[in-house]
Amino acid sequence: MTEEKKKGGFFQAIKEFVYGVAAHDSARFALKTRASMEHLFILITMGDMLGVPILPPYYSLRLLPYVVPQISTWKRRMLREKDLTDALA
Amino acid sequence: MNSVIVVIIGLIVAFIGYRVYAKYIDTKIMKSDPKKATPAKMYMDGVDFMPTSKNVLFGYQFKSIAGAAPIIGPIIAIQWGWLPAMLWILAGAFFIGWVQDYSSAMIAMRHEGASFGGLSHKLISPRARIILLSFIYFYLLLIAGAFGNVVVSTAIGLKAAPMAWLFLTISGILAGQMIYRWKKDIILTTVVTVVIALIGIWLGTIAPSNKIIGDSLANSRLLWAIAAFVFCYFGAVLPIWRFALPINYVGAYIVFLGLFFGIIGVFVLHPDFTLPAYTGFSIKIGPIWPIMFVTIACGAISGWHSIVSSSGTARQLEYETDARPVGGGVMFVEMMLAVFALVIAGAIYASPAEYGAALGKGAGVVFSAGVSKFLGALGLPADVGRSYGSVMMIVLAVTILQLVIRFMRVAASELMGDISPIFKNAHIGTFIASILAIILVLTGWFQYLWVLFGGANQLMASLALMLVTAYLMSEGRPAAYAFYPMIFMFITTVAALLYTSYGLLSRVFTGVVKGVEAIIGNTLMGFVGFFLVIAAIILAVEGVKAFNRYRAIRAQAAPAKA
Repeated sequence: MTEEKKKGGFFQAIKEFVYGVAAHDSARFALKTRASMEHLFILITMGDMLGVPILPPYYSLRLLPYVVPQISTWKRRMLREKDLTDALA
Repeated sequence: MNSVIVVIIGLIVAFIGYRVYAKYIDTKIMKSDPKKATPAKMYMDGVDFMPTSKNVLFGYQFKSIAGAAPIIGPIIAIQWGWLPAMLWILAGAFFIGWVQDYSSAMIAMRHEGASFGGLSHKLISPRARIILLSFIYFYLLLIAGAFGNVVVSTAIGLKAAPMAWLFLTISGILAGQMIYRWKKDIILTTVVTVVIALIGIWLGTIAPSNKIIGDSLANSRLLWAIAAFVFCYFGAVLPIWRFALPINYVGAYIVFLGLFFGIIGVFVLHPDFTLPAYTGFSIKIGPIWPIMFVTIACGAISGWHSIVSSSGTARQLEYETDARPVGGGVMFVEMMLAVFALVIAGAIYASPAEYGAALGKGAGVVFSAGVSKFLGALGLPADVGRSYGSVMMIVLAVTILQLVIRFMRVAASELMGDISPIFKNAHIGTFIASILAIILVLTGWFQYLWVLFGGANQLMASLALMLVTAYLMSEGRPAAYAFYPMIFMFITTVAALLYTSYGLLSRVFTGVVKGVEAIIGNTLMGFVGFFLVIAAIILAVEGVKAFNRYRAIRAQAAPAKA
């Protein structure tokens, strides 16, 4: 445990607990919503990944720097096996 | 016996369970290792997989598992007497409840954050996955019916509740608007919206529903059932930040404040139990075994927790060693919530007849009376306390209810989307789920519906324990701590479901049940119960095959005797 965490102590733990009860779910859903939007964004450059130029190369090249850092996590998210219980939590 | 003694016994059981038994399993059997990379770290994507502080996850897990069930179960089960109910809550949580919550999180973590479908495919068989997922749909339907019934009976039994519920909805929508659209400060938003919700609770006492819409409408089950499912419809189809989440956010403060001050009130008043310790083996709703063991589901053990632990929490745990406080620790907190509910039901009524009359109006009415009494010890007027208790109960029920309806919509799309594209439509999926649930709410007998819900919930738990056992056997570790609870829960819940379903259908087919509505609701409940039993037996057969497979692998791997 780091010194910073130790300093936080009891009140930090309470603060985190209250956040967990009241707002953590909201934060996760906000992140999921953003991720769904990013999926669409990445999808438009997917043609280049497959070697099929869907967008004119000029626009693909403009978008690529924003997309590249997310490709690995995006692939994992897309390829991971999902089932109904994923919708719950 | 004095209620404070029961609370203290509960605290001692929780302490020993967490510090001794859970610690032993965690260190000696599961061998959690803080240095091992968890899926949250290995697959961090900033969305599903994200290392999160154990304190945050403690709150998240608590909020996700503590619905109305740990409160309603003990309130109904005290009909067998407070002693057996208390013993089951304590023993269930100690030997089975935390085992399931904690182990579900651990096996999901050890399988790269896989959810139950993936785990059952890998550890049991491909067929197990399909059966498990169809089982879950009907399990959710029973949750929707049972919790919808709680909302309806609370709205009818306490006329202050609808106004408080309306204000909670308004304050939740406002909270969503303030946070996400107007970008207002979170503390300001919280204060403003919680105060509005509290004003609604007070307004409910001076403007009860029967004064506004008249007695006949205020007592109409159809009206409040439609209101509950219109509420859930918005929760299921609107963007989640617009409706469901901010209402849950405001509601969380209301519930939390009520529980905190309510427990202080128990210590201030420290009443004696007034209801009998034991009433008999067999009562109107059934014999103590197996029925009481499924009537108290959450609070002792609940399958719902395993879904939250595996699909949600396991992907966020920063260290393996956090699984014990988050998975196990929260279960013991929920056990204390069930003990609190038991104290409410057992200590606030002068006689069993008085309790029976209150229970006849709904478990929410009993809970609200208890909250009113214990908050009254701190100076809150009784009618405001009742209104407060009613909105707590509605919050606890609708939080799960709207999540379940949203989930059933997704399930309908996944399971039947290939048959017809119409099931992929969000509105159609929500409508089907709502109609099925409304049928159960309006036509099913609540106490049987509750038993079926509890049975399905506990059966889900035994299936989770089956996965844990399969994992332990596949790893060659001692599996007894999960295996015996699994056997006990499986036999108990199958017996309870068969007993209840047979009872319901025999009454329908022998003509005891009168009226088309009651026949529809109780037949539906009976068949759902039988379906769950059949699905569980198929899963059990698959499970036994998997156990034999693992045993054979271990036998082959063992060195031959000289």
